[in-house]
Amino acid sequence: MISLFARLELGPIFRALMRNKIGALLIALQIALTLTIMVNAIFMMQERSQQMARPSGVDEANTFYLSNTIFAQNYNTQTSMQQDLQRIRQIPGVVAATQINAIPLSGGGWSMSLQTKAGDDVEGTGAAVYMVDEQGIAALGVELIAGDNFHNSDIGWRDVGSTKWPPKALISKALAEAMFEGNWKTALGKTVYIDNHQPVQITGIINTLQAPWNGWNGVERSMLVPQQLDGRGSRYFIRTEPGRRDELMPVIEKMLAETDRGRIIRNVTSMEQTRDKSYQEHQATNTILLTVIIVLTLITGFGIVGLAMFSINRRTRQIGTRRALGASQWQVMRYFMLENLLISTAGVVLGTAGAIALNIWLVSTFSMSPLSPVLLLIGVVALLIVGQLAVSYPALVASKISPATATRGRA
Amino acid sequence: MLTMNKISKSFITDDVATHALRDIQLHVNEGDFVSVTGPSGSGKTTFLNIAGLLETSTSGEYLLDGEDITKLNDSGRSRMRNQKIGFIFQSFNLIPDLNLFDNVDVPLRYRGLSASERKQRIEYHLDQVGLASRMKHLPSQLSGGQQQRVAIARALATSPRFLLADEPTGNLDSQMAQSVMSLLEDINKAGTTILMVTHDPSLAARAKRQIYIKDGHVSELTNKNSNLHVVGEA
Ligand SMILES: Nc1ncnc2c1ncn2[C@@H]1O[C@H](COP(=O)(O)OP(=O)(O)OP(=O)(O)O)[C@@H](O)[C@H]1O
Ligand SMILES: [Mg+2]
Repeated sequence: MISLFARLELGPIFRALMRNKIGALLIALQIALTLTIMVNAIFMMQERSQQMARPSGVDEANTFYLSNTIFAQNYNTQTSMQQDLQRIRQIPGVVAATQINAIPLSGGGWSMSLQTKAGDDVEGTGAAVYMVDEQGIAALGVELIAGDNFHNSDIGWRDVGSTKWPPKALISKALAEAMFEGNWKTALGKTVYIDNHQPVQITGIINTLQAPWNGWNGVERSMLVPQQLDGRGSRYFIRTEPGRRDELMPVIEKMLAETDRGRIIRNVTSMEQTRDKSYQEHQATNTILLTVIIVLTLITGFGIVGLAMFSINRRTRQIGTRRALGASQWQVMRYFMLENLLISTAGVVLGTAGAIALNIWLVSTFSMSPLSPVLLLIGVVALLIVGQLAVSYPALVASKISPATATRGRA
Repeated sequence: MLTMNKISKSFITDDVATHALRDIQLHVNEGDFVSVTGPSGSGKTTFLNIAGLLETSTSGEYLLDGEDITKLNDSGRSRMRNQKIGFIFQSFNLIPDLNLFDNVDVPLRYRGLSASERKQRIEYHLDQVGLASRMKHLPSQLSGGQQQRVAIARALATSPRFLLADEPTGNLDSQMAQSVMSLLEDINKAGTTILMVTHDPSLAARAKRQIYIKDGHVSELTNKNSNLHVVGEA
């Protein structure tokens, strides 16, 4: 053991480094900066990826929606909508269809506050509101985990200006937990209040259904109410048998357009498109962050190669002398790898402090969550490995310097 | 101690072959002090490099301390250099970033000695050359003669059997050259075999044995000592 440490030369390597501080210091700072930015960037990417990975609760692969805008005068909106839905449901391959007022993750929708007690000044819990009919659950593809679905007789029409709410609702598990102290099962059958005073009975609980706003911290809180909006604009939400969505999207669009020329059908959009659009910025940001990480790491790697090449060139005769004094090729190579390890260690120590400081600032400024120590550790190890890989080529070049350089100088 | 049998060395660059050494035939006994002279470019450094295992010969047989060098690989030669050979260079070749202590320490670490033994050897040998008090100094803080004495301490710290010096006084004024030369003579008296290349005829003459290299051929100049013999081309 003693002889191993003796041969490692850490002391002399360190002391020699201290005589050539500037280059080493610059590389250490570069490594520190890379670690600082890399770890926080990866952390931000992770947070976004986790957000994107949350299920919407909707059968996204097999659902789409379209909007129906009526322009004809003297038009019976209620009959025409009922007919549209009937026709859609009759098409082979369609599983379910419903009229809906808002689309999950689309960015636009309704929200209301629900209270466990009636009253004007009672704290409420915000929830996204989806107005659907008895096929709402099947059309969205959400899972009912307690209670019953709406019946056809529950569904009422709602005028555009109305503030009247139906007496029943299905709520998401997350909403139930938020209102009933984490115990969603107790929510079933309870009466809650919407718009301060209107009683609504919770007749069922659905597992997951996200709100239209992905950045909202209550994105998992949503409710379904048995209502259909009566107006000159409406949206149909349709679910097909697995794999038949793309084929049926144009079919249904064409069918609707042709059976009734008093309106136009627009914005035929799949749920997958909606998700992509919803997280477009997240994706773009992640791509930018990833690019920054890769570029920074490459620059650092090349910086290490450059510095090592420079210092090896400067030390050619010294390396030859070491070889003459008995250093093996491996010992020469190890010298430069250990030297890099010392520089990198200084860099990652500094970088760890930097990463934590940047994270503290991000947490306090953008209310991000604190950095995980595991990620920091991974970053440290990754940069040490990058350093060793980067220096291995120059170190190999150094190890090939002939011992005869000691007497002949540069060949 | 050292036997060269038909050692040749040629350098081939850009299709031009330089025959630096041609069929060298030489035997050096243990305890000898051999000086090597010859015109510039005659092959003296090449000869010394091959003798010190810094270069390999193109052909021929070389036995050092009974071991066939041509059979050793690179790491075998490194070990042999570290254990049996000490080097002194014309431009001292101290490592500028290390103080005197660390400089003398370099070959001892390659030897894998314990810290206490290394310390003891470094202090002893720096003391021998009169520089123990300047252990923490950098080479640049010393005169040329002092630097060469540190280099000698470094060469001797591994207790080599064989000391090779390529123009050890070439960068020194005559007074310093004299003191380095007498140091080498003391070392030789203590039993170390020395091979020294020099341009200075008066220093060469102080060696027990003188050889002369010209155009890659070795010949004997004088034969002051009866325990030597050389089989070379005249
Ligand atoms: N690496 C090399 N490549 C090509 N030729 C070389 C190489 N090293 C030495 N030579 C040639 O070999 C011959 C002998 O060189 P060497 O250095 O041994 O001479 P020297 O006697 O030490 O000269 P000096 O007194 O000038 O130091 C010279 O012609 C030299 O040019
Ligand atoms: Mg020479």
